Amino acid sequence: MASRGTTTLQGARAGVLIAALAVALAFDARAQTPAPSTAPAAAPFTKDCQVGATPIADESPLPNVASVLAKRKTLRILTMGASPGPAGRHGGYSAVIESILERALKGIDVVIINRGVSGELAADAAFRMKNEVALDEPDLVLWQVGTNDALAYVPADQFASTLKTQIDWLKNHKVDVVLVGLQFASQMLRDAHYAEIRDTLRKVAARENVIVVRYYEAMQFVEEAAREGGVSAEEFELTESGSNCLAQYVARAITLGVFAKNLPPRR
Amino acid sequence: MPREANAVDFWRGFALITIFIDHIPGLVYSHYTLANFSISDAADLFVFLAGWSLRLMAEGGGRVMPTRNIMLRLGGRALEIYAAQVLITMIAIAMLAGSAIEFSNPLLLQWHNAAAVFNDPVPAHIGLAALTHQLGYFDILPLYVVLMLMAPFFALLDRLAPQLLLPFSVAFYLIVLAFRLTLPTWPVSGTWFFNPLAWQVVFVLGFVLAKADAGPGAFVRRHIRWLRVLGVPIVILGALTHQFNWWPDPTKVPDPKLFFIADKTFVTPMRLIQFLALVAVFSITFPYIRKAAEIEALRRPVLALIGLLAMLGRNSLHVFCIGSLLSLTAQIARFYYRGTVWIDTAVVIFGIIVMAVTAWLAEARQRFRAPAPAC
Repeated sequence: MASRGTTTLQGARAGVLIAALAVALAFDARAQTPAPSTAPAAAPFTKDCQVGATPIADESPLPNVASVLAKRKTLRILTMGASPGPAGRHGGYSAVIESILERALKGIDVVIINRGVSGELAADAAFRMKNEVALDEPDLVLWQVGTNDALAYVPADQFASTLKTQIDWLKNHKVDVVLVGLQFASQMLRDAHYAEIRDTLRKVAARENVIVVRYYEAMQFVEEAAREGGVSAEEFELTESGSNCLAQYVARAITLGVFAKNLPPRR
Repeated sequence: MPREANAVDFWRGFALITIFIDHIPGLVYSHYTLANFSISDAADLFVFLAGWSLRLMAEGGGRVMPTRNIMLRLGGRALEIYAAQVLITMIAIAMLAGSAIEFSNPLLLQWHNAAAVFNDPVPAHIGLAALTHQLGYFDILPLYVVLMLMAPFFALLDRLAPQLLLPFSVAFYLIVLAFRLTLPTWPVSGTWFFNPLAWQVVFVLGFVLAKADAGPGAFVRRHIRWLRVLGVPIVILGALTHQFNWWPDPTKVPDPKLFFIADKTFVTPMRLIQFLALVAVFSITFPYIRKAAEIEALRRPVLALIGLLAMLGRNSLHVFCIGSLLSLTAQIARFYYRGTVWIDTAVVIFGIIVMAVTAWLAEARQRFRAPAPAC
């Protein structure tokens, strides 16, 4: 509970920071011309995707992305891991992220390269990711990781080692990473290994100071909110709206990361 | 009567069992398959032997099949493999859906790229039929379908100008690597996991090297001893690279990067060369394995092993299809009964027995097929 409270506080602090940055930049924009092309505009979540006070991601800087945005007008994002859904009316997960980010980071062309392989374990994805980084030269990797390792009973320490090694490799190659955490299913609430992998992911991310989009917690909130009727979180996750919500959480986490470059490392 | 056990069927059976095990992520035994000691894996062997078999089909038994018959046969084979892919994909989707209902766990509906099928079935079904939407671990047969569609051209070129086939295939492969040409997936954006434009070179190499009396196949047979001497250090280096993570940093290699990195999708040169070295070195083993059967104490187990693997290899499409479904069954079983060494052992033994029964049934069907009534 204590840690949840702390993270909530961190989330609130980040919100204040973003608001302050937005106000400061807005005033700055009025005072000077031309306006900064990358004014932050952390879009509110759509009604379907509201998660109350549930923290969706810890604020961590994305220094390389911030530095790239200062130099050029293109942001290249490589997505790895399972693709959360189909194209749908809004163009799907990747298209929604691209559209939100292009709105938030005005004047920036966001290019998303999808190289996800569904069912792939973290270790296999990590090997392939190095090649993809070399070939596609992304500024940011969006890595949905953990669910397959949890379902395949990969030992948590092995998972942690893979994750840490890969994050270090990405940092050494000046590529930022945003991790997308495990999927939610109420049946997995009592699964010790699933919880252990989730916990491991969070701990490694905290130690390495990288963002984890807490999809599981977000969907858990949806589940609790839907208790009195309506669609369950699992059903919701499978809909286009569920996929869009994840895209919104990811886009929010990235904009937070871009403008959180001066934050001290998390403990 | 099924043909006698031979090296091609034996190694194809080996590849089928290996692919079955490799397709169960997290399985204890998946840490001991070829992929853990080699840059290439069973998929390379499977595709190479498919090319080799094409040669046997076209020119086996001392008779040369007419070109028109080859075209018809290959077209039919492509259709047969396509039908098999559609069938096993549908069964896999039903298995995921059934398991999700049975275990009340919708997480299974998002496994292995199946989410699109359940979330947005209209485009996903078009993609399934067009092979542009492939479930995870159900992506080898689409490659095989495309290779079989290319095969009539390869066979024709081999008839008209055999000396041009391999140079053409290699040149096309290098262009594919240089320009990163690939096939896209749809409706989920991405690329094919096995890029047929690159993998065709493995298939053609199998086809070309199977020709014993002329061309590269004859050259290799003449110099096989030296090629094995050359191959041994490459095989050892591949194993060490795997073991000690000696992979080159892909960001540090020169352009075009695909020429210098290890990549499965594009079956890059590093992988291809190591695979050919592996084939050269291990091609010596089958005669010795067969010879081991002459030792009285080993006779029964060795003959059983040869018989089993060759039988699997002779019925590779049936066995591959069942093996793919067994891998998915095993993943679901491991998820619910926890992945212990006992469960994993049971999974492997059960899987091999079912694959063997499948192959036996396929041959029994041929054996017991009633002769057509005389008109």
